[in-house]
Formats: sequence, C-alpha cells, structure tokens
Amino acid sequence: MTVGTQAAGGAAEAGGPGGAAGPGGSVPAAGGGAPSTAVTRLRSLWRLLVGREGDVRRPIAFLVLGVIVATIITPDFIRPSNINSLLVDNSYLVVIAIGEAFVIMIGSIDLGVESLLVSAGMLIAWLTVFHGMPGGLAVVVTLAAAVVIGLLVGVLVAKVHIPSFVVTLGVYWGFRGVALLINDQQGISPSSRGFSFGGIAGSAGGVSNLLIISLAVVVVAQVVLSLTPFGLWLKSIGSNELAARRAGIRADAAKISVFAISAFLAALAGIMYTAWAGTIVPSAVEGYSLEAIAAVILGGIPFTGGRGTAVGAALGALMVAIINDLIVLLGVPSLWEYVFVAAVLIVAGLQARAGRLVK
Amino acid sequence: MATDAATRDGPVLSVSHLVKRFGAVTAIDDVSLDILRGEVLGIVGDNGAGKSTFLSLLSGYNHPDAGEFRYHGRPVRISSPAQTRRELGIEMVYQDLAMSPDLNVWQNLFLGEESRRWALFLDRRAMRSRAREVLREMNTKIDPASPVSELSGGERQLVAVARGLLFDRDIIMLDEPTAAISVAKAGDVLHTIRSLRERGKTVVLISHRLEDVLAVADRIAVFAAGKIVSVAENKGLTVEDLLHLMFGARAGGARR
Repeated sequence: MTVGTQAAGGAAEAGGPGGAAGPGGSVPAAGGGAPSTAVTRLRSLWRLLVGREGDVRRPIAFLVLGVIVATIITPDFIRPSNINSLLVDNSYLVVIAIGEAFVIMIGSIDLGVESLLVSAGMLIAWLTVFHGMPGGLAVVVTLAAAVVIGLLVGVLVAKVHIPSFVVTLGVYWGFRGVALLINDQQGISPSSRGFSFGGIAGSAGGVSNLLIISLAVVVVAQVVLSLTPFGLWLKSIGSNELAARRAGIRADAAKISVFAISAFLAALAGIMYTAWAGTIVPSAVEGYSLEAIAAVILGGIPFTGGRGTAVGAALGALMVAIINDLIVLLGVPSLWEYVFVAAVLIVAGLQARAGRLVK
Repeated sequence: MATDAATRDGPVLSVSHLVKRFGAVTAIDDVSLDILRGEVLGIVGDNGAGKSTFLSLLSGYNHPDAGEFRYHGRPVRISSPAQTRRELGIEMVYQDLAMSPDLNVWQNLFLGEESRRWALFLDRRAMRSRAREVLREMNTKIDPASPVSELSGGERQLVAVARGLLFDRDIIMLDEPTAAISVAKAGDVLHTIRSLRERGKTVVLISHRLEDVLAVADRIAVFAAGKIVSVAENKGLTVEDLLHLMFGARAGGARR
C-alpha cells in the first residue's frame, strides 16, 4: 500500500521463491542473481521508466512506444512533414484534452466539449460571414459565450448537485442541436477570401500558429496545475473533496471555474478548428469528446482525479492522434479508429491497474 | 454576562443557549459552555449525546439554529471552517483524519492557506521548510515531502495536529483522536495533548475512552441527550462517576 515499501511488497507478491527480496530489494545494485532479485530489478526498472500512477513518465513512455510502433508499421510516419501535420492537425484535440484534464482532475467528466467546439465554430462563422463582425471581436464574443455556458454547467454540477455526466450529456446533445440551428442545419463557408479570423491557422516563421496556441495552452495549464494554489485545490478536490472542504477550499467555486475553463478551451478549439478547416459543418468532430477523455486517461490522470499532469493529457492526445494517423497511412477503413482507441484505452487502464497492484 | 468560571484565565470561547436540530431530532438542546484559555477540556457522552454535533458547530461545519458565540468576550458569528480557523484560531482535528491522499504532507498541511510568492504562485520551498520545522518540533520524523497515503493513522494524527501549530491556532479540537489509530499509539496522542497544553494551547478533547479523558483533561463536560448535564473539575473523578453522569442523568436511569 505504501510507496516506501512498495518495491519489497511487490516482490513478495510476485512470489519469488520464499519471497527472498528484502526491504533493500528495490536498490538495483543489491543482491546477486536470485530470480526474485531479477524480478525486483525489473520492477524497479519499470518504476524508473514509468513512475507512479499519474507520473508524466507514463504517457511519455506510451508515446515513445507509439512512435516506434508507428514507424515500424509504416516508415512514412516518421517523416518530418508527417509529424508536423500530425501536430498541427491535432492541435485542437490537444486543446480540448487540456480542458477535459481540468475537469477529470476534480473527479468530474465533461462529455460536451465536442458540441461546444462545433457550436463555437458555427457561431464565429455565423458572426463573421453573415454579420460582418470583425474577426477579433468575433473571437472574443465566441470565447465569452462559451465561458457563460461553462459557468452555467458548473453551477448545475456544483450547486444543484446534478452529476457532471448528466449535465454534460445534456450539453453534448443540446449544443449539437445549437450547431444545427445556427444556419438551418447547413455548414458555413466564407467567401473566396477565407474566414476573417483565418490567420489563426496561419504560420509565423514557418511554425504554425495552431501549434503555438496549443503549446501555450499546455504550458499555461501545467503551470496552473503545478505551481499555483488553484492547481493544488483542484487536486485536493479530486483526491478527497471532504478534506478539501474542511481545509476551507471553496470547492463549489473551483468546480464551477473548471467547467468554465473546459468550455473556454472547447470554444478556442472550435475557433482553431474552423480556421484550420476553412469551413464548418454542424456534424464536425463527432466523437471528439470521447477522444479527449481517452487522451486524458492515456495521459495518466485517473478517472477519479487528484493526480496527473496537463503535459500528460497533451501527450495522450498525441497518442490518439497517432492512432488516427496510422489508420490513414495504412489505408484502413476509418471505422477501425474507434476499435484501436478502445484497445489502447483498455491497455492504459490495465497499466494503471497493474501499477496499483505493484504498489 | 461574564461568567464566574472565568477565574482561571477567562474564557477564550463561550457558547450560550446553543440549539441544533436535524429534522425532528434536537441534537444540541440549549447548551452553554465556557472554554477556558490554556485548559484541556474533555467532552464525554454516549453515542448520539451530541458531542460531535457540538464540535461541528464550533468548527463552523454546521450552523446552529439558535444560540450565540463569544470569542474573548466579544460576540462572533461562526460561519465556516475557514473562518473559524483564521479569525478565531480554532483548528479542528476530525475523527476520520480525512486528507488528500494524492498530495504530500506539506501540501496537506498548507492546503487552503498556502504561502505564495508573486501573489499567484505557491512558495513551495518556504512551505516545505516550515513544515519540516513544525514536524521536528513535534519530535516526529515525518518527511514533509512524503505522500500522505504513506502515513500511518498515528502519523496522520500528528500531521493534523501540526496544522494547528503551523498557524499558531489558540484552540485545537480533537474529535475521538484515538478512534482511527491503534490502541498502542493512544498513549502518543495523550502525550501530544499534554505537550500542546504546555505550549499554552487550549485543547478540546472529545472521546468515548473515559480513561483517556481522565488522564489529560482539566475539566470534563458530560453530554447526555443533547444537553450538558455536568461540567466538573477533573479532581478525584473516576470512570464510574462519569458513567453515572452519562447514564444516570437519563430519564429512567437505564444503562443502555
């Protein structure tokens, strides 16, 4: 149970002959060639490579493994142009995964991010194309609208005590509907000159703005989670909400702000997506809520929250992206994507479980 | 209004005519009590006598339906755990010792009252070293950087009490401090309580282990059916005396 003795406990569990590994068994240098010591060594190597549950080393290990496998399957994968387009094309997935990471960190869930994403995309297209609103203003209006929605969701979860699963399932259906309503079920395309906010998908000095935005989101999120009191409060709420409340943490306010953050990032992702795609249809990004959730779990934040990193969630998003990319490169029918993501998720769940057993 | 009991050092906290109902149940029924500065006040009573409810009202976790609080003679409102902690210097150590298992010791110690730098950021180094100092003062070898999930019940108890010392609270309230830890460690808890008293802290101790209360308390308040039936100086009191007060006071006087 305790980490301090986990190496020894793990070795004993592994059932080496007579459980020979002593308390010092976790020190790689200790002992000769007894099988139990070898097991212990393997375990300490495993721990060194992947760390505790929630440790950022796990998603890194996953990602490295994914890149290697992808390169073996199809060497085209590792070409810089492919890597670059992989990162750019999935920048919005990274952004919604970060929003999802905040929500899952407190032990809640947000099923609605894809619908907010597509609604935000429809809204900004509608504002700029049909109403001639300047791009900058439309961005601000869209983000602000999303924050209002997020605050409402947060209030329903934190104050009215409706489970986040239920509220955000409502958001999922409701805002897919809003996206359909905005232009009478039709998509919106700009005139031949493109969206007025299309520069968001442009590039500066050869680096895509989308990449820079998503990177900035990841960095800010990680700083918030690891270096600020707010981040500590979120982890404490996910870890033990009662203890957090007794310590004087305003858990309701923290929860509400978390859903606002998620909605804000979903709208930002919607703006990025729309700028990148150059058009928006109400049926876009179907299934991306689940991909974002998968990314967060792959990234090492447990479903119950309390630990893990934003960087991990971003790496998890890249894992999902690699799977999607492989499917394209291999020419496999895209429906297999779902099966692959499912398989990887189960593996991720298994490794978290295995980690707990080792402890 | 100042009570006669204020002879020792004056009450640090007084409650008068406190009432708390949960639906049809009156958990606290017109309770008045002075908590004197620097004393160890024991609170005993049968299950459901209102001990824990009383503490939850003092800690701000629950709100009374009637009654008033005075802090150093000045009327105060008790609104939330954070407010009682910061404004009234009351540190509550709960029976279940609930902590955030994913956070480490210093993070738990400072949770809700983090030291900051540049207004926005955690001052991790300051918190870690301050936590180490306080834990050392308490003669424990707990590493401030170790995850709380690694700690034993007794160590959690010490960490919870350390919170009170860290922020120099006046009053430390312990709800059944020996309930969540092994009997062998119960002596350590009593030792901790005595050392808190030596530091001039006021300690309120709730326990159903009457021997423990008799071992450390200066005064003992006996709860029965939501009322205080007796507040006695702990001089020559025995377990039998307390049992008699706890159960003899009831209508019918039945034991059980």
